[in-house]
Amino acid sequence: MEKVVINGIENNDRMSTQALLQLIEEKLEEGYTDFEINACGQHDIGGSAWSRTEGKELNFYITNPGQRVGAMARKGTNIFVNGSTPADVGWLNSGANIVVKGDCGDTAGHCAASGKIYVSGRVGTRSGALMKHDPKFETPQFWILKNTGSFSFEFMGGGIAVVCGYDCAGLKSVLGKRSCVGMVGGIIYVRGNVADIAKTVSLKELDDEDKKFLKSGMKDFLTAIDKKGLADTLLDFSEWHKIEPLPTEEKVKKVSVREFRKTQWIEGGIFGDFIEDDMSIYPLAATGKGRLRQPVWNKELCVDCELCMKNCPNSAITKDDNKIYSSCDDKCIGCSICETVCPKAAWTMKNNQKEVD
Amino acid sequence: MTEVRINQLHKDDLPWIIEYDESKCIQCGKCTATCSFGAIKPAIEQRKKSCSIAEKNKLEKVIVIKQELGFDNHCRGCGMCERVCPNGAIKAVRNTDDRYSIRYRAQTGQSVKKGGRSNLNTEGRTLDKIKIGRISQMTDPSLDAVRHTFEIKTPFGRVLSADKLNFSVNGDKLECSSPLPPNRFIYPIIMGDMSIGAVSWRMWEAMAIATAYLNEVYGIPIRMCTGEGGIPVRLLKSKYVKYMILQIASGHFGWNRIIDAMPDMVEDPAGILIKIGQGAKPGDGGMLMANKVAKYVQEIRGVPKADLLSPPTHQGLYSIEESVQKMFLSMNAAFNFKVPVAIKVAASVTSVSVYNNLLRDPYNIVGGFFLDGLAAGTGAAHEISLNHTGHTITSKLRDCYKAAIKQGRQGEIPIFAGGGLGQTGSFAADAFKLICLGANGVFSGRLLLQIAGCVGNDTERCNACNTGLCPAGIASQDVCLTKRLDIDKVAENLVNYFIATDLELRKLMAPTGCSSLPIGRSDTLITVDKNVADRLDIQYVC
Ligand code: SF4
Ligand code: SF4
Ligand code: SF4
Ligand code: SF4
Repeated sequence: MEKVVINGIENNDRMSTQALLQLIEEKLEEGYTDFEINACGQHDIGGSAWSRTEGKELNFYITNPGQRVGAMARKGTNIFVNGSTPADVGWLNSGANIVVKGDCGDTAGHCAASGKIYVSGRVGTRSGALMKHDPKFETPQFWILKNTGSFSFEFMGGGIAVVCGYDCAGLKSVLGKRSCVGMVGGIIYVRGNVADIAKTVSLKELDDEDKKFLKSGMKDFLTAIDKKGLADTLLDFSEWHKIEPLPTEEKVKKVSVREFRKTQWIEGGIFGDFIEDDMSIYPLAATGKGRLRQPVWNKELCVDCELCMKNCPNSAITKDDNKIYSSCDDKCIGCSICETVCPKAAWTMKNNQKEVD
Repeated sequence: MTEVRINQLHKDDLPWIIEYDESKCIQCGKCTATCSFGAIKPAIEQRKKSCSIAEKNKLEKVIVIKQELGFDNHCRGCGMCERVCPNGAIKAVRNTDDRYSIRYRAQTGQSVKKGGRSNLNTEGRTLDKIKIGRISQMTDPSLDAVRHTFEIKTPFGRVLSADKLNFSVNGDKLECSSPLPPNRFIYPIIMGDMSIGAVSWRMWEAMAIATAYLNEVYGIPIRMCTGEGGIPVRLLKSKYVKYMILQIASGHFGWNRIIDAMPDMVEDPAGILIKIGQGAKPGDGGMLMANKVAKYVQEIRGVPKADLLSPPTHQGLYSIEESVQKMFLSMNAAFNFKVPVAIKVAASVTSVSVYNNLLRDPYNIVGGFFLDGLAAGTGAAHEISLNHTGHTITSKLRDCYKAAIKQGRQGEIPIFAGGGLGQTGSFAADAFKLICLGANGVFSGRLLLQIAGCVGNDTERCNACNTGLCPAGIASQDVCLTKRLDIDKVAENLVNYFIATDLELRKLMAPTGCSSLPIGRSDTLITVDKNVADRLDIQYVC
């Protein structure tokens, strides 16, 4: 079957997006698979379409499209855009091969989940945001010859993006500003300067696997965008890095406050020249030095009735062969029960509270 | 039998009554050992053994726990006894028939003193009547509070209007030939403002550590104000002083040491705060009771052990012009005009005149205006000041901001608002609302104590900070009590609280579509209270 040619504007009469998309749908129903669309800014071309002819894929050759070229496009769809495109190319791409011979507007490749997007120019802000990979489908790939705008690859969850950084001399970062925020999965290969990316991702050297992938992928990419001559320049791996999210544990690993005090804080504490603080922590109802009060025994008053000994909840009171009573500092909590039960007031509580000196 | 007379203090006169269940008590003594106020003691009571004829006069002695009745050692309801009791046999219960404040005055001829915040909350909290009602859904780009980057910083220091800056082009560079006043971009929350002496050394150091940690480890540029009691020289000479705002109040405590240490300082401090007044007790100076003036406090402050009552105003300041000339100029000069100098006053009916006057600032030396509302906390105050003087923060902040707008000079002298923030637990909500009403930032003190483990609240629980017997070791200089406080835990809790607050601030900034601080963005606020709406000039909704 021959190619369907649709002109988005004829005799100054522009087709609406709806009319154009419905016309494509009609032709698809009739079994057509090849479309040449000379658009006039109509949106969503190439999306959610499938071939009704067994064994044949869909091909869209597009010029001058509107937004969302190839948005929600399926496997078995090939889209070629001759020239630049506005926003949302390949949005939610679910398996199509999309080639843009020019630049793309913002959010190119947004939520792309499968298929390949090849761009021979630059892409706008938030491109590659929320790319994802469903393991039941092919890994999405997003190849960009030049650079991306700021905030790109935000919340990326999977897939592979390749930013070749061609024609970017003088740029501080080929990923613009604040890219990769919230990235939790996937890989971004990037050539050239990178700055101001999220702190939760890391910029790493390539390993052999990475190089192998780039070598084979680059060939297909450059062939698709007709730039085979750039292969040597772009395959100089010394200029490449990859970006991956940090594993969760690494994100939270911080020195503890205690460690900070011990290693980085002023040695001996800021009050160290006034106060000797052994840093011990007293529980409530402490024994020893932590007691708020401590009992003092008066030999003269004691009638040796042993009431204190018997009532001390901590068995802190003992007497020796000479009937000298004493309270053990390590057992006594200073509760005053001995003072209370003593019929002769032989035990009195001394206030142990004293301000620091 | 002891006689009972009507004028004796009885437990039903006191604000808290000890509820004790003898059948559960095992006389372990933990409760009496724990109570820092000595408000409970073991006692011996008698029980009748039997009703049989033979034993009818036989009495048995038992040990019980009894509440003490006194003005110095009455129960504050701190709940420590309940915490340690292994059997749940004891607890303090609020007495709704309490006559304490009458009896105390009648019996002692003294005014009632206490710490904490005002406990007379007749006004309700205006901030709680305000909601964030402008949510950007399809109007502005949506932001993700957790993962997007937010610029949560505010200027601290004098900001010059564009017409006061002489720009010129030199080659490919833009140059400014007018001298610029010092200005620092800091986190919009300033913590502390509680003096050495008012809080224990461990509490104070924990705040300083938390501040340094938040800066160094989390990159949150939060600052701490020293309070009026000076600063330890070790901190002054360390690099961390760059996170500290040094306060000077009417007592000028510790400033001789600061001046002495100047040649040895490796960093400039974050700023200077001239304290004129505080919201908890406007018109009253700082008050540190002798029982908290420990030896190191005496040294740092240069005073003997005595009740330290700072004069209510700076001696030698008689007018706003003079204060600008004397205090601002001298404090600016002290650090060679490199450190921003701000002023703190209690919110008052007169605040707008003060702010307007400062705004004229011909020397560009007024670097900030701290306005402290009546719900602010304090370590010690006369109850009469705490409960009956002061001005709410919300409308006064708004008035000052609008006065500046009227002159087209908003933001030139950043306003920081405080006083009772975080009272309901969420500091971020209060901070966000005040910022939308025109504050450049906010500050907090009392809340930090509660984060550290203070059990006091705004309905008369504990608030014994003035006694030096703080059961949590926070507002005390006593060794036994202060050592109850774990400095690392306190610092960690403070750090965690502010990390949570930072996230919550972003949780409010994101839905309102603000990636930088929404200073003066009152369009984000709504209220169902018509009076609040009218007074604050925000949208009334119903
Ligand atoms: S104060 Fe209490 S614990 Fe200490 S010796 Fe006396 S009864 Fe025993
Ligand atoms: S509540 Fe506090 S003040 Fe009251 S008795 Fe118990 S420990 Fe003492
Ligand atoms: S802590 Fe509980 S069990 Fe122990 S003496 Fe006190 S009330 Fe009795
Ligand atoms: S726990 Fe300490 S700081 Fe808190 S209210 Fe009581 S005395 Fe004051």
